[in-house]
Parts: sequence; C-alpha cells; structure tokens
Amino acid sequence: MSKASFTSKRAPAHHYVLAIILGVILTVVVSVLVGASNPDDFWLAAGIGALCAAYPAMSLGGKVFVSNHTVTRDPRGEQSVELQWMRQAGAGAFLDVLVAIVVASLVLAIGRFDIDALPVLLGLVALSVVDAGLRYVVIRHRALK
Amino acid sequence: MKNNLSERRAERRWTQADLAAALGVSRQTVISIEREKFDPSLPLAFLIARTFDCTIEDIFTAE
Repeated sequence: MSKASFTSKRAPAHHYVLAIILGVILTVVVSVLVGASNPDDFWLAAGIGALCAAYPAMSLGGKVFVSNHTVTRDPRGEQSVELQWMRQAGAGAFLDVLVAIVVASLVLAIGRFDIDALPVLLGLVALSVVDAGLRYVVIRHRALK
Repeated sequence: MKNNLSERRAERRWTQADLAAALGVSRQTVISIEREKFDPSLPLAFLIARTFDCTIEDIFTAE
C-alpha cells in the first residue's frame, strides 16, 4: 500500500481505446449476467446492472491500460503518516467487523433466526467501509489537533 | 521519541510545507513528527538528518 502521484504524461491514444473496450466488454458481461438472473425483467435488470458496472469497469480499463503512463508511485509514500493512519483505521475496522460477525452469529444461533444472507453481507461491507472511514477521520483529527 | 525538528526548521525559516516538500512527504507527516505523535521510519530519519546537515541523534532523542 503506497501513495501515488498523477503525472502530466499521457498514455498513447490506443491505450485509451483499449481501456474503453475493456470497460464496455465488462459492462456488457455484468449486465447480461444480471439480466439473466432476472429473466422476467431482463432488460430492466440488465440496464441497472450496466449502470452499476459501467464506472468500475471503465476504471478497471483505465487502471490496466492507462495508469501505468499517467500515475507514478510516490517513492516516499510509505513514510508518510497517512499510511500509519490508514493501517490503524483498517486494523480497528477489521476487529470491529470480526466482533460484529461473532455477535450476529451468536444472536442468530441462539434466537434461531432465519434471514437472507445478502442483506447481512451487504451490511458487513457497509459497516467495514464506514467504520474504517470514521476511524481514519478520528485518528487524523486526534493527531493534528 | 523527542525531537527538535521545529526549532531546526525555524532556524532555516522554513514552513512545514517547505520541509515536507524537501523531504518528499506530506505536511501532515511533518506536523505529526514535530508534535511527537509519529516516529519517522529509519530512512526518513536519515533523510531529515541529511537535510539539516547533522546526525539523527542531533535531532531525535529517546524519551
């Protein structure tokens, strides 16, 4: 994990084309998969899938074909305090998620609740993201006040 | 670790941003080191010492 810096360089033109092609292919694949999982509303589901997948797919295309030319690794990024803050926030969030999973598992096992896994997994993703973000803000605030 | 980084920086009339640019790190890193809330890595400590033409021990002392 390290910081990166944008440069003023540009990638060759065909790399941008390749990035867009990869992004479009991934978007189509995801939208077809989402559509196929909802055959009754194929086009609606595929459209929503495409909307959700387009940005990350294009970003991945940029990462694979363009970033090597336009972004350089910060040689001293590893030495900045922000990396320590990120590690502390990540470690704290991991422990919080672990505790949340243990508690939720106990509650579900003892209460014999029967719930869908998808909302629980999405909740865990949201918890980890929000937790890590909040911890980072708090750690940064304490360090700089 | 205790350090006299802010005094040495002030002697040269550098801002924290100037020192951060000279070291190639963020201004928050310089602030955290000066407030003794962040111990720099060994390579960064060497770089700080080299920047101020002194040894690491001249700047950093164990508490």
